[in-house]
Amino acid sequence: MSAEPVRVQLPPVLRSVMGGERWLAAEGSSIAAVLADLARTHPALGLHLFDEAGAIRSNIVFLHDGEMVRAREAASRRLKPGDEVVLTNALAGG
Amino acid sequence: MTVSLIVGTPKGAAILRSQDRQSWQEQFVLRGWPVTASARDDRGRSYIAVNSPNYGVALHVSDDLVDWRQLASAPRYRPEDRGNPEHHRLVARDDFTGLLKDGGRFVDQIWNLHWAHGALYAGVSEAGLFVSRDRGESWQPIDGFNEHPSRPGWTPGFGGLGAHTILSDRNNPNRMWVGVSAAGFFRTDDGGKTWHPKNKGVDPAVDAAPASTGQCVHSVTHDPAKANVLYRQEHRGVHRSDDGGDTWQVIEDGLPVCELSDGHHCSFGFASAIDLKSGHVFVVPLDGDNFRFPRNGQLAVYRSRDGARWEPLTKGLPSNCYTAVLRGALSADQMDPGGLYFGTASGTVYASSDRGESWREIASGLPRVMSVDAYVS
Repeated sequence: MSAEPVRVQLPPVLRSVMGGERWLAAEGSSIAAVLADLARTHPALGLHLFDEAGAIRSNIVFLHDGEMVRAREAASRRLKPGDEVVLTNALAGG
Repeated sequence: MTVSLIVGTPKGAAILRSQDRQSWQEQFVLRGWPVTASARDDRGRSYIAVNSPNYGVALHVSDDLVDWRQLASAPRYRPEDRGNPEHHRLVARDDFTGLLKDGGRFVDQIWNLHWAHGALYAGVSEAGLFVSRDRGESWQPIDGFNEHPSRPGWTPGFGGLGAHTILSDRNNPNRMWVGVSAAGFFRTDDGGKTWHPKNKGVDPAVDAAPASTGQCVHSVTHDPAKANVLYRQEHRGVHRSDDGGDTWQVIEDGLPVCELSDGHHCSFGFASAIDLKSGHVFVVPLDGDNFRFPRNGQLAVYRSRDGARWEPLTKGLPSNCYTAVLRGALSADQMDPGGLYFGTASGTVYASSDRGESWREIASGLPRVMSVDAYVS
């Protein structure tokens, strides 16, 4: 039996890419690995996750276990099966 | 016949449709995505380009303007491509975490989509040209343009270094033109392998800019069937070429001439369009690069019937208007008589069904209008 997947919550603007889906399931032991899995299974979404250089887009931030995780920290942020990650982005304004 | 307008705004696209060009139905799609350009191919598929400072650029397609699907591919530079530091400085306001400091070249906006000879072309910023020969499913860079020998000397305009104008020759698939702010106008005669600056007779944007590639072209229009007659709205005035861009002459008889911030006098504006059946050309002058709104608040479209002299068209347009019409926000439907449409930076769309003789508001309350494209089906 395979391990329980990680669940990723998309921000509203990216849900339109996925037919309105709010939560996606993916596999990986780090946030970066989970995003790579999402890009592999959903290439249209992958355009928005990784830039030309193959890096996670720098304005994306994650919420995991009550903490904010920046894109540059995504590879070192370890995940357990069944974890939930909120994907969102830097916001400008008051 | 149905006329459809795709109106691009920073918060999505307004789709306006009419069967009589009098009453219009409006639908707002791709909510939350800045919409910057659109195109339609010769099989009736529509394309919309979106961009986001957070999530990059993408293309959406639809066969009915109602249901949209994002494609899994978009124009992208190679990881090893190096970017323009001045362009990076201009777009750095959205670079919250310092990505650009490493010097890469990124597609941060699709300024123009152009369907010609069975291919879809995308003009982007940081300035470059890409082509898709499979209806947007995959994209290839046009290296003859993107790696042009003059590129190290290209200087961005205020809006960044963007390839915003693409024109093609209906009778010659090897000939195309591309306009870049502020590196001027280029032409290829060998299907995109080599490109040559076509700015003779047009002043550089500033005196210190290179004479061959320092022009700040704002938009260019022509009849693709008579492709070598070109009309060019430049930062420094309105010009015409009768030889495919080899040489240019100022045509400002009847246009409002203003003083630019550097003291130069010319007619300033961004948008241009042509009604193919009559050959009439249209521009929307603004009162110089400092003010960027219509002179004395009178919103006016100017028409040239002969490619030399201009007349103002104001019937139905407001006289207390202090906003701009951006470069992509004027379009013609090519019906008979020709319909014209434009949107303002304050979110109002105006329409004319009599080649600009009279206008009326057909949408308002939209975000800043960045593009207007008219399609007939």
